[in-house]
Formats: sequence, structure tokens, C-alpha cells
Amino acid sequence: MDTLALIDTTHPLYSNFDALGVPNTKTEQYKNFPIKPILAREYSYNTESNLTPNAGTNLVMHNGMLLEYPEEIDIKFNEEFHTDKEHFDSLYFMSHMLSTTVITLKVHKDCSFEIQHTLCEQDSLTAYRIALEVDENIHVEVFESFQTDKSSQAFTLYGLDVHVSNNSTLRWIRNENRADKETEVVGSHKFNVAKQATLVLHSFDFGSASSLHLYKIDLAQYASCNASHLLLSDKDARRGNVVHINHNEAHAKSTQEARSILKDNATGIFDAKILVAHDAKYASASQNSKAILLDEHAHMYAKPQLEIYTDELEASHGSTIGTLDEDALFYLLSRGISMQESRKMLVSAFANTLIDNIPNQEYATKIHKEFENSL
Amino acid sequence: MIDIKNIHVDIGEKSILKGVDLSLEKGKVHVLMGTNGSGKSTLTKAIVGHYDTTVTKGEIFYNNKNIVELSPEQRALEGIFLSFQNPIEIAGVNNAYFLRTALNAKERFDGKKETNAASFLRLMKKHVSQLGMHQDMLIRSLNDGFSGGEKKRNEILQMEVLQPDLILLDEIDSGLDIDALKAVADGINRMRDGERTFLIITHYRRILDYVTPDYVHILQDGQIVKSGGFELVDILESQGYQAIQKDI
Ligand SMILES: Nc1ncnc2c1ncn2[C@@H]1O[C@H](COP(=O)(O)OP(=O)(O)OP(=O)(O)O)[C@@H](O)[C@H]1O
Ligand SMILES: [Mg+2]
Repeated sequence: MDTLALIDTTHPLYSNFDALGVPNTKTEQYKNFPIKPILAREYSYNTESNLTPNAGTNLVMHNGMLLEYPEEIDIKFNEEFHTDKEHFDSLYFMSHMLSTTVITLKVHKDCSFEIQHTLCEQDSLTAYRIALEVDENIHVEVFESFQTDKSSQAFTLYGLDVHVSNNSTLRWIRNENRADKETEVVGSHKFNVAKQATLVLHSFDFGSASSLHLYKIDLAQYASCNASHLLLSDKDARRGNVVHINHNEAHAKSTQEARSILKDNATGIFDAKILVAHDAKYASASQNSKAILLDEHAHMYAKPQLEIYTDELEASHGSTIGTLDEDALFYLLSRGISMQESRKMLVSAFANTLIDNIPNQEYATKIHKEFENSL
Repeated sequence: MIDIKNIHVDIGEKSILKGVDLSLEKGKVHVLMGTNGSGKSTLTKAIVGHYDTTVTKGEIFYNNKNIVELSPEQRALEGIFLSFQNPIEIAGVNNAYFLRTALNAKERFDGKKETNAASFLRLMKKHVSQLGMHQDMLIRSLNDGFSGGEKKRNEILQMEVLQPDLILLDEIDSGLDIDALKAVADGINRMRDGERTFLIITHYRRILDYVTPDYVHILQDGQIVKSGGFELVDILESQGYQAIQKDI
């Protein structure tokens, strides 16, 4: 069956889905991502679930099945949890409707854990969602990674619903290094950042697989969001991030920095909107996107936008798309360093700051390595 | 060592060098002087194969081989080194990593064993303190935020690490304080072994008090108009360029 045929039209979220409509090439957030053929493909619908996962150190998802969870965390299955009815993306609702596994994680103390997604089933549709609730006054770090061995024509539709309570900090690192052909991942997420809470989001998209992540991030009073996105793609990949950050109350702060490197025929997507509501006075918002195209047919779709309904704020945005700096390249060549090595050095230099921003050295080193290997 | 024969060089649509003939004798220190915009930097860029320059006519023989068709990296590996008039800054490329990559590339080309990280570090410490540089210049990004004088010392550091055979120094002395000038001159003199060939571009006599030249050449409007000895520098210092009796 194709994906749309699986939807239960009597589901309470169906009207929300229907109001936004089935996404197509005219839908803003899917303009550069071929969602239509993905939804139209024939899949076997993966409905297996596992109700006896092991307590361990990480959250391990295998084809949508939970195999292991961190024992220090309170975990619940299929508990009713808040869905954001205002979400801009219809696939957010679709993934809620299709998810066979809904996991709710409640974090009560400082901690750091990993979420490992393994996607290895052929011709299948896998839908699941993870909700994370972070208590007040704590620091949490999550490292999310993906493996897609041997799968093909597989579509994973998953999502996160995250709530960061007052005065807490959540650092979310998504490391999606995938090169598989015809395995698409769409993640449609919602992050709610409460008063004086902080969300630090790092996304790393490397490789030739296609994926799109859509984030709706809501900021309360004195909340802040610091997002950085590093993308390195080649072959025919289409991948990137759609990020809507909403300043809903006063004194919220957001910064967004995207750096993208595209090779071959790859298309990178950075479609970002910061919306500052009328009551969100004294906001501070900045957005920046820089892209380097290494080949003639590589393409970057960068659309940083600020939508502002208050006049008391500090805001900036910018976007550049270019090639490697010729003078810098020449300097390296003139010292006898080969063209290939010189280009590699400059690309790494462009990317390194976003990797070095990760305080956890183990993760930073891992990502540095994966970046070098993807170059 | 290098024989430049009737070379014509364009930058964009503009013709800059209009038939330069210049031979640099092996093991000697040559000085190149000339008014602003006469084409000195363009000449060095053409020798190293800078993408700005198009050689429309003539040949550059280096060790009896015409190098006009060689890529910049090949020319460097063959032993040609240019210290840039304005070394560029490359944020995010670690200076020591850059130097070691360049050294290893040269060693591979020469069929030598590559210097490992530990001995490279020792080598660097020696050079850096000889040049009176801060040790932290090595861990910083390449020229990034370096002062003018620091950039020039970093060029000399690269020269000393790579040990090239033909060394082109484009205004290495400009913007240097007295101590830096001495440090840079000492670096040049350490490399002067009767085998290496130097072309020093300068506007002032100052550096030549520390590095005694063998020959002086004067470039005017895209041509070498006079070659001679140190006496040319004295004439220029006292009377300016109009006092030069052109040979052509
Ligand atoms: N990229 C460029 N585009 C256009 N013109 C250029 C470019 N580079 C150099 N030129 C021109 O070529 C001429 C020679 O420049 P060059 O830099 O070689 O002079 P120079 O002798 O080194 O001068 P200076 O003593 O000021 O360093 C100048 O007229 C300069 O404006
Ligand atoms: Mg010059």
C-alpha cells in the first residue's frame, strides 16, 4: 500500500493533517525535496513493536522497534502526549497517525544518552515517535545517530516531541551520516522551550542519502535556542533542514548558523524562519547560512527569513553561496600541497567551527572523523 | 637556475609584462626594484603560476625546463617558493598542520621519508624561536589575525621548513620593525648557502644592509631596463628612478 492509503480518516488528528493537505512540490517546505514519489511508493507497513525492551545505557530503535532504553530514564509507551496542533507540517500529523510505537521519556536529573536508529528493512515504511520531557533545572545531552545498512526503498517517518522545562538546558546532537540509496528519512519535530530554558541543537548531515528534518521550536520568556547545521552531501542527495523558530514571549533569544558543502548533483536545503510575535519584545534573533558548491551541478536552497511583528529587537540575517576561496586555494597549492588535499583542507576549515562547538570531545572527535571520511 | 625569456604576461585584458628578459644566476642574491605598479609582483606570480596571470608569449626555464605549463603545486615541489607581498589569512586551517602537510608533500616528492609529528614539533620549536615568533603562532589558524610583521615572519618560517631552491621574496621587508627585519634577514642568510637562488623585491635599501646582494635589476613598465650591482641601489636612494640610465 502507499502511505496515504494507510491513514485512518477517523483519527482525531486527521482534520489537522487534512487542513494542511498532502504535501507536494508546491508546499513551501518540500519544494526541493521529492516527497510525492516517496509517499506514492508501495511499502510494507512495519507495525511490529516490542513491549519488553532491555534496560541499558542508550535508546536503541531497530526498524521502529525499541530494543534498549537508558535505565536512568523513566519510560512509558503509547501514553497520550501533547501534540502541537499549530505545527506547520502536515507530515508531523501524519507521523503521529501512523506511528505504531510512541515512546515517552521523562528525564528527572542531569544525564547524557544516545538514541541509535537502525533502519535496515527493504521496501518498508516505518513510523514512530519519541517524546522527551526534561524536568526543571537540569542539563541533558542527547546524541542521535543513524544506521541504514542494506535497506533500500525504505521510508522512515519519525519525529520528536520535546519539552524543556523552566531553567533547563537540552543539548541535542543529531549525527546523520548516511550514504544509502533510496532510503529516505523524514523527521518532523516539535521542541518546546519553557521559561529561561535553553535548547542547543547541532545537526550534522553527511553523505548521499536523502533526508529532511522539519523543526518547530517555540520559545517562552527568556528562553533561548542556539541551532547549528552542518551539511556535507554528494551524488544525488537532497537533504537538509526546515526550521521554524517562534519567539512567543519577551526576551527570547535565538541564533541559527548553517554551513553547507555540496558536491556532484546534491541539493542542500536550509529553509529557516524566525518569527517574532507582537508580544515577544526585546528579542534577539540572528540567522546565517553559508554554502560552498564544489561542483557545477551542486545546488543550495537557502532561505533564511525573519518575520517580525515587534519593533523592539535585535535581529540580523545573511546568506552566501559561493565556491572555495581562490586565493586561499592558491596559497596552499603554492606550498606544494596537492589540489585534492588543498580543497580538503579548506572545506574542513569551513566546517570545523561547527564541529568544535560540541563540548563533548568524544562526540566532536567522532564527527570530525566522519566528516573527513565523507569528504 | 632560472632563465626568463621575453615573457609577456596579461592580467585579465591588461598587458602587464611586455617582454621581460631576466637570468638569475644559481646561488646568488638578486634584487628587483621598480616603481609601484611596474610589474614586480606580476613577475613573481607568473613564475609560480598564479591564476591571475596569463603568459601570452615567452618562456620561463627553471633548471633548463620550461615551467610555463606546470601547475603551481608542481612548481612548488620542484623547489620554487614565493613569499607573498600580502599573505592571505585562512581561518580554520591550523598553521602547524599546514606546514607539516606541505613538508610531507615535498618529502614524498623528493622520495624522502616523511617527518613524523614528534620530530616536526622539535623542528618547529627551533625555527619559531630562531625567528623570534610566539610559540602560539603554530597552534593558531594560518595567518589569521596575524599582524603584518607576524605574517612576514610566518612566510620566512615556511621558507625555512620547505628548504626551496629558488626563493622569491616580494617586499618581505615592508612593515617590519627593526627586530623583525633582523630576524627575517637572519632567516634569509641562514638559507644562503651558495646553492639557493634569491630574488628579493624591495623598495628600500634597509634590508640590503643585512643581506648583501650580488645583482640588482630594475623593472620599469613591464620590462627590465637595467641590471648591475649594489651601486644601482645607491643611485636610486639618492636620486630616484629618473636617474637610471636605461639599458634598453
Ligand atoms: N588582479 C588584477 N587586476 C587588474 N589589474 C591588476 C591586477 N593585479 C595587478 N594589476 C595591475 O598590474 C600592474 C602591476 O602590478 P604589480 O602588483 O605587479 O606591481 P608592483 O610592481 O608589484 O607594484 P608595488 O610596488 O606597488 O607592489 C598594476 O598596474 C596593477 O594595478
Ligand atoms: Mg608588488
